[in-house]
Amino acid sequence: MGPLSRDAWAQRLGAFRASPSAFMAGPEGEDLGRDLLSDLRSEKLSEQTKVSLLALSMEYPAQLWPDASAAEVAATSLLDTLVLLPPRPSALRRPLLLAATTALAAGGALGPTSGASCRLLPLLLGLAAGSDLGRGFVPASEQRPLQATACECLRELESCKPGLLGGSLGLLRGLLGQEGPVQPLSLLLALALRNTLVLQSRVGAGLGGLLTDKVSPTGGGPWDWTLVEEGDGRLQPQAPSWPAAEEGEGERSLTAREHSPEEARELRAAVIQLLDTSYLLTPVAQAQLLWLLGWALRGLQGQPPALFKPQLVRLLGTAQLTLLHAMLALKAAFGEALFTAQDEALLLRRLTLAAQHPALPPPTHLFYLHCVLSFPENWPLGPEGEEAAPLLLGPQLCRGLLPSLLHDPMALLARLHLLCLLCAEEEEEEKGQLPSPRHYLEELLAGLRQRAALDGGPRALATLCFQASYLVACCLAGQPTVLTPLIHGLAQLYQARPMLAPHFVDLLDQVDSELREPLKVVLRQVVVSRPGRDEALCWHLQMLAKVADGDAQSATLNFLQAAAAHCTNWDLQQGLLRVCRALLRAGVRGGLVDLLQVLARQLEDPDGRDHARLYYILLAHLAAPKLGVALGPSLAAPALASSLVAENQGFVAALMVQEAPALVRLSLGSHRVKGPLPVLKLQPEALEPIYSLELRFRVEGQLYAPLEAVHVPCLCPGRPARPLLLPLQPRCPAPARLDVHALYTTSTGLTCHAHLPPLFVNFADLFLPFPQPPEGAGLGFFEELWDSCLPEGAESRVWCPLGPQGLEGLVSRHLEPFVVVAQPPTSYCVAIHLPPDSKLLLRLEAALADGVPVALRTDDWAVLPLAGDYLRGLAAAV
Amino acid sequence: MAQRAVWLISHEPGTPLCGTVRFSRRYPTVEKRARVFNGASYVPVPEDGPFLKALLFELRLLDDDKDFVESRDSCSRINKTSIYGLLIGGEELWPVVAFLKNDMIYACVPLVEQTLSPRPPLISVSGVSQGFEFLFGIQDFLYSGQKNDSELNTKLSQLPDLLLQACPFGTLLDANLQNSLDNTNFASVTQPQKQPAWKTGTYKGKPQVSISITEKCDLEGIMPNVTISLSLPTNGSPLQDILVHPCVTSLDSAILTSSSIDAMDDSAFSGPYKFPFTPPLESFNLCFYTSQVPVPPILGFYQMKEEEVQLRITINLKLHESVKNNFEFCEAHIPFYNRGPITHLEYKTSFGQLEVFREKSLLIWIIGQKFPKSMEISLSGTVTFGAKSHEKQPFDPICTGETAYLKLHFRILDYTLTGCYADQHSVQVFASGKPKISAHRKLISSDYYIWNSKAPAPVTYGSLLL
Repeated sequence: MGPLSRDAWAQRLGAFRASPSAFMAGPEGEDLGRDLLSDLRSEKLSEQTKVSLLALSMEYPAQLWPDASAAEVAATSLLDTLVLLPPRPSALRRPLLLAATTALAAGGALGPTSGASCRLLPLLLGLAAGSDLGRGFVPASEQRPLQATACECLRELESCKPGLLGGSLGLLRGLLGQEGPVQPLSLLLALALRNTLVLQSRVGAGLGGLLTDKVSPTGGGPWDWTLVEEGDGRLQPQAPSWPAAEEGEGERSLTAREHSPEEARELRAAVIQLLDTSYLLTPVAQAQLLWLLGWALRGLQGQPPALFKPQLVRLLGTAQLTLLHAMLALKAAFGEALFTAQDEALLLRRLTLAAQHPALPPPTHLFYLHCVLSFPENWPLGPEGEEAAPLLLGPQLCRGLLPSLLHDPMALLARLHLLCLLCAEEEEEEKGQLPSPRHYLEELLAGLRQRAALDGGPRALATLCFQASYLVACCLAGQPTVLTPLIHGLAQLYQARPMLAPHFVDLLDQVDSELREPLKVVLRQVVVSRPGRDEALCWHLQMLAKVADGDAQSATLNFLQAAAAHCTNWDLQQGLLRVCRALLRAGVRGGLVDLLQVLARQLEDPDGRDHARLYYILLAHLAAPKLGVALGPSLAAPALASSLVAENQGFVAALMVQEAPALVRLSLGSHRVKGPLPVLKLQPEALEPIYSLELRFRVEGQLYAPLEAVHVPCLCPGRPARPLLLPLQPRCPAPARLDVHALYTTSTGLTCHAHLPPLFVNFADLFLPFPQPPEGAGLGFFEELWDSCLPEGAESRVWCPLGPQGLEGLVSRHLEPFVVVAQPPTSYCVAIHLPPDSKLLLRLEAALADGVPVALRTDDWAVLPLAGDYLRGLAAAV
Repeated sequence: MAQRAVWLISHEPGTPLCGTVRFSRRYPTVEKRARVFNGASYVPVPEDGPFLKALLFELRLLDDDKDFVESRDSCSRINKTSIYGLLIGGEELWPVVAFLKNDMIYACVPLVEQTLSPRPPLISVSGVSQGFEFLFGIQDFLYSGQKNDSELNTKLSQLPDLLLQACPFGTLLDANLQNSLDNTNFASVTQPQKQPAWKTGTYKGKPQVSISITEKCDLEGIMPNVTISLSLPTNGSPLQDILVHPCVTSLDSAILTSSSIDAMDDSAFSGPYKFPFTPPLESFNLCFYTSQVPVPPILGFYQMKEEEVQLRITINLKLHESVKNNFEFCEAHIPFYNRGPITHLEYKTSFGQLEVFREKSLLIWIIGQKFPKSMEISLSGTVTFGAKSHEKQPFDPICTGETAYLKLHFRILDYTLTGCYADQHSVQVFASGKPKISAHRKLISSDYYIWNSKAPAPVTYGSLLL
């Protein structure tokens, strides 16, 4: 595709700017970067069009060249274009330098291995040094502007790769001393110096001769990629971090290393050189210089901050935002070392003055006011990081900073905050003469409320009034002399303009109970004392839903009864029902029953009637705590904005049994071998307090008779619970799996159902002993049983491995209760009763070192494999 | 200390979006640093569309404030500076420096060179003050000498090139964009400092006078040094709260400390006020000061009473005898807020003419160039209003009921209320050649209100203490 025309480009750029992401996703997106680079060399496009192409590339390099290699290619192409420019003045040189710098720095391609970087850096430094680059590369008329531009480009590269120019400090200093452009060189030198000091101190090195060495820019180049590497790619804040913001970053030890006397002398000379010519810089550039040098010298041994003093008086007279801000930064960095108590007082006075000076614009006033309340004091008293009135800011100084109704909202709030701080202090000191700040505060709030009450006034006025009330409530909590009139004033405001109900509800949600509770009472009184039929009924109902509780029931119910007749549309009926719901939650019962019954009959809307009936049923059937939970905030995720759906989900959650993760754990204890039935011993453990626990068991395969549920009144985590006994009634002597379900109530009143992990009843858990034969008759009894097994039963011999404990140990551990005849340590006869009516007989005789042959008989052949497995597993079971 | 992006947005109430992005500029190298510095708390600068929407919402400039919206109207969302957090795509972009002036919203996002969570204190963010200066600089450029929309458009179209000079990489080099436009010929005469909007003064509800002495110096040479002295007559009231241009090289401590905060006494420094400076090329404001003059130049009263369907007004004005009776113009604006259009007016005036703006519910009493010999003039009459329609007639939250004011607008050339003057012979110039020195003075009214004495005026703390 050939080069585009000027208009085509204008159209294309316009489309791109409207939405870069949409454009890049479209069909033309892919080619834009390439077309742009090639058309820069087109002879058909004017310089002005090319400048706008370059401007675009400076704003959106990441979109045009999304990765480092593309950025490298682009930068190379831009540099080629620059070199190919004919040797006459051109408007393209500056933007080409800026664009190449932007492409490299923003694209992440800047580095020692990047070809474009290795071309750009010497070019920039050469231009900055004003050297002759040969071949008429720079027309004379452009030399100076390009020198400045090169400095700016270098500064940007140094900002993105701190330490890059560490080796050029001496060169830059020399240039500054000669005829170079003061501002660009000063800022570049200050930044490079700051970064070098930080990086050198991190590796424990000094400045060495960096400030005096003058490398030749045309030589191998002074690029200090090693210093950049040591910086670990970490960017350095250009600003001296504020003390409070800096804690814990470990930056304090930044400059712990002392410099040699010579280094210190050179450093001081460089700083003085920079400061002495700083008045030649634009105010914003002066401010940058001060921030940078302040950061560089902070905590440096042997570098007294008094170096800055000569600049301060000059700066104090101005009202330039950046300059005063930079002074505050110096103040924060050096404190008393630079600002005596008198200086501090003067600075604060100037700041106070600037915060109200009629010659300055409102945003400046506000920022200065913020600075006053965050003033970095030499000896701060209050907690760090919180806005507070500085100690030196007496009432006299504050006088002009107090709020008035004529201020715009932000100024009013900012000044109101200051007034609140004054009122808070006043409490501690003895009462001054009237009118006191507190009295004034009251009048101001009254004025704000009066404005908020204006019929037809914009919402912003109401918002301002509530913001002010909130601010006062936060700052002056615990001061009834302030809060009481505030509460009554707000009540009057509601009376005057009930449509502010949403603001009241919001305020009640935001403030803490000290204001909330009394305000609720007063507002409730205001609402219920109304006849209940005015135009503002919907607001009253909204308000009442927030403030109604168990107190003053009859007045509230009377109001609702009166209001019910006027609730003719769906909205109002819902509002009314919301209040009923709030009352239900608060535990109001008596009169509410009647009201709900009436509503269930009378409301026009069927949905309203249904709701009223539902509430009535709930009230009639649920105990108070359960009701509270049922009507509480829905536990279901608020997936839908509809209040009805949320409400119904709430009921479902509260009134139905909820499937829940198990809050109980059951473990199997040793089984009991007494009585006619095998009994499992279960040890329950709760993860949260639970009540009315019912454990239900189901036997898989109906191997046992159905099991009865076990009940536990209450389980608490950490409190040991008694073991639970679960009698089994086997229908056949086999191990089984028990499914376990738990049903319980949580402390919030919800009933939950949980599936617990299954329990396994082992073969051995079913063992019961035979009744003990008389003394001495054991052998005969056993032989009798032994013989009775055959012929219907089965016989087998099993090798039972023995562990280190030997036969005696094995028997005492596992079979003790069932031994009928014992001839320790070699021979045992064991008889086991397996409910419902099977037997298992074992002869363990002639034990060897590693095992014992066991002869076994049973009358139930199905038991045989189980018995075999059991015996073989005994040794391992230990 | 840099800006990530800057925007100019015109506020257009009544249109679907309520605004248009007129200019925007992003700084990708700064954005790259922001990503590293802010770490996990980094929020990218959005495209123009979403930014416009979020900013207008936050500044309450969208038309829909009918309903309570918690994220905007909640009482706990308190903003005390012109610095905002904008919710964009579920994340909060902070800090956004923004303000509205002359229907144009100026906004930028300064780089914060640390993590944003927890939020560092604003005062510790160096880019904030730079952002303000940047925006003020753009504002000055757009509105200096600009009179109509086409001029504004021309200036907007110059901005991309200008910022290439004044702020190529997001770090502001010079807030004075005029300088960048053309270093030789473009230094136009700046207008006298625009006075702040009437709601922003310090002691409101009381008469107040702002004085500006406009001086212009034309010089040649690279670094001429100039010293200008401002002097007061013997009984002149001292100058206070002096703010100087950054080109002033040194200041007497008496000038620094003279402040309206302190109680006045006879020992107060009363000049001469010396300002040594190196002037920039363009004309500039060397200093601003305030003063507490003992008498207002025009005294008077305004009485307004509601009588059934009409308002009865009586106004009496008297020029102080010490004030030069030679105005460039002098008029009294009498607005009626929160009422309908003026339907009927009967009046009698001892001097001057009355102009009636019925739809705007405004009367303007044109007093002219001179007060009569008696120095005293009066106006009385009755005004009747039609039915209120909120769109056309002005709303004011303060002037309700009988709370009302009249505002005086006047200008007197070659006169200052303090008596402050710059003696041409005391101007010292250290430069080659002999410059021509001229000095002019003028007195301009700013927020000169006379409140209805028959109704409560808005309360102010200053008046309570006095």
